[in-house]
Amino acid sequence: MNGSTDALAGERRARLAVAMSGEGIDVLVVAGNAWRSDYLRFVAGVTVVEGQAFALIEREKPARLIIESAAEAARFRVEQPGLAVSWEPSPIEATENAIRALGAKRIALAPSAAVPYRLAMGPLGSGIARATATLDRLMLRKSPAEIRAFRRAAALADEGYAVFREAARVGRPEYALVADVEAFFRSRGCPENFQILGAGGKEVRGMHPPTERRLTPGDLVTTELTPCVDGYYAQICRTLVLGQPSEAQKRAFTVYNEALERGIAAVRTGATAGDVARAQNEVFRRHGLADYVTSEYTRVRGHGLGLYVDGRPALLEDVDLVLESDMTLIVHPNTYHPEVGYFVHGDSVRVTSDGCEVLTRTPRELFSVPIA
Amino acid sequence: MRRGLISWSREEVPALVLERRVARLQNRMRDAGLGAMLVYTSFARPSAVAWLTHFVPYWNEALLVIFPTETPVLLAAFSKRVHDWIRSVSHLGEVRSAPDLGRAAAAFLKERSPEPARIGVMELDALPWSVAEAMAKPGSGAELVDATGVFASVRQPADESEVLLARRAAEIAARALDAVPATARRTSEVLSALDASARLDGAEEVLTRLASDLRADSTLRRFEGEAPLGERYGVELSVAYKAAWVRVTRCFSRNAAPRSWELAARWFAETASRLDEKSVSAGPGALPPPGKLASWIVETCTGSQPLSIFAGDRLTPRQALPAGALASLSLSLQLSLDDGPWLGGGPLVIGASGRPSLLLI
Repeated sequence: MNGSTDALAGERRARLAVAMSGEGIDVLVVAGNAWRSDYLRFVAGVTVVEGQAFALIEREKPARLIIESAAEAARFRVEQPGLAVSWEPSPIEATENAIRALGAKRIALAPSAAVPYRLAMGPLGSGIARATATLDRLMLRKSPAEIRAFRRAAALADEGYAVFREAARVGRPEYALVADVEAFFRSRGCPENFQILGAGGKEVRGMHPPTERRLTPGDLVTTELTPCVDGYYAQICRTLVLGQPSEAQKRAFTVYNEALERGIAAVRTGATAGDVARAQNEVFRRHGLADYVTSEYTRVRGHGLGLYVDGRPALLEDVDLVLESDMTLIVHPNTYHPEVGYFVHGDSVRVTSDGCEVLTRTPRELFSVPIA
Repeated sequence: MRRGLISWSREEVPALVLERRVARLQNRMRDAGLGAMLVYTSFARPSAVAWLTHFVPYWNEALLVIFPTETPVLLAAFSKRVHDWIRSVSHLGEVRSAPDLGRAAAAFLKERSPEPARIGVMELDALPWSVAEAMAKPGSGAELVDATGVFASVRQPADESEVLLARRAAEIAARALDAVPATARRTSEVLSALDASARLDGAEEVLTRLASDLRADSTLRRFEGEAPLGERYGVELSVAYKAAWVRVTRCFSRNAAPRSWELAARWFAETASRLDEKSVSAGPGALPPPGKLASWIVETCTGSQPLSIFAGDRLTPRQALPAGALASLSLSLQLSLDDGPWLGGGPLVIGASGRPSLLLI
């Protein structure tokens, strides 16, 4: 681990110990895998890329880690010398046995997204929701060290988008754009990125992993790009045009830009996630685009960021979670536009007491890539 | 999260191949008295659903529902807007929106199987509680039973299409390893070169572990940030191409590679080719190694994970691969030589008894 990772792990562990004490938990058993590695990263500082893993956390004691992949177990022994790591080809059974051996201690399981059926069907199943909620609360507001990692990720997202703009050229297949961005991130020591994109015109209704489709003049090219630094993801959403933007594309951009500005202006301590979504959606309604802020055309108006790429809270009008300072979000009014197709535009922000700090530095514009 | 090329070429994997795989599973389901079977998928556990339908989730979750006689149905926790994309990359009967996957599955099973039925779940023990909870409730009308063995019994041997995909993945991996700059001094240079080459070559996913200084430590690690490279280092590169995964391990030396590496590579190729269906469980014991064999594993795919350990120096397999099986396997070896450790590995297709295996790299 490097110094910043050490500091992060120490901070998180201290907050976790306080929370466990408050909830009366002696041992917290946290499950994870490559899809849901966020909770494991929070409690034990590890990111699993293959197989299942379970961390057993006792207050004031070194964490134990039960790992399904032999290769992952070997690297965690080296990367995290403070952990007691064991490789178990049947990790669920091994964790069940480890829990049984704990005897009469007060044990909790989390998170519901990763706890396996076999453990949940046992006597600890009824407490999963509560323990998950405890961890969710801890992961919402970021510590100073977490904010530092998030800032670095946001800066890297800006740089990554510059690479994407360079990569987007007529004739290239979509997957080549992602290849260029990934190569850049690896060159900067960034191990992980979530990225989807879309390219074309009115027929494009969303983003997806890259296909073999080659870019053509006039394409609207969207991407959301989400690099990870010390485990923390920050995101940027932007749209570019291959060639000169049409009048319709320019008109569409003004709507999305206004929605983003209104959304960001609504972010402050005490506002709800719903307020931020509503502020964005009102702009679309005012422009006669009310249909396009429904689930038929869009998913969310932004979401939390942190150890997971799509964290709480979802920015939707019916979400009443109250924003607090040092929560980290992406605000993005991404949706379909009937004249130009799917359009994305979003910035990463940190909630402050009187508003928010915008961490994305890439200009808010409809980029135009010249056609050679 | 998957962010490489995800696409379905009907030439590489004809629909008929996928239909045959599903039909084999349906036969076994009927033998086992299952009214339906559920197979979970996420990008961490994509392989079973991908093998049956060619669908690989880039994020999020889904459940494939297979009835004994119908085309499989996908319950997908994805936005409806990506259903067209899902249909374009996979062979499915119906795609249903299921934001709350477990509840949607419980309702769907009740709708399609009004009478109480035995529902087989592949890897039931591992099914995430957020998905399983609604189905496990008393009165849900379904009896969930583990059907891991039912799926595993049809998963291997690999068919011709799968071997061709694995061969392509191996070629992508080989070219990526060849693209590592001879002058690399930092881990980030190696990682960047590997990702660039493999993804431009059409890889669906690239996972890399590095032993950055073989003389100091041969543990293969995932790097966050970067580190200096020793004069000798090892790379384990796992590449997916259209859901077929291979793992390849190679050692690099900035200066002339020691002669023992050449001997080790030759021994590896010879030993790997001698692994047949009978000897694969026992590992590479046929020929004396040119050093101390520190560890070995043989991996294969029999469930939802791309590569799981089948046998190794610390694991005796519980069951054999099926007689006459062709399986796409990955093998990693660590040899301690006089001049330091050597790591090697590559995919192979295991031959029938007494016949050589086929190394894909």
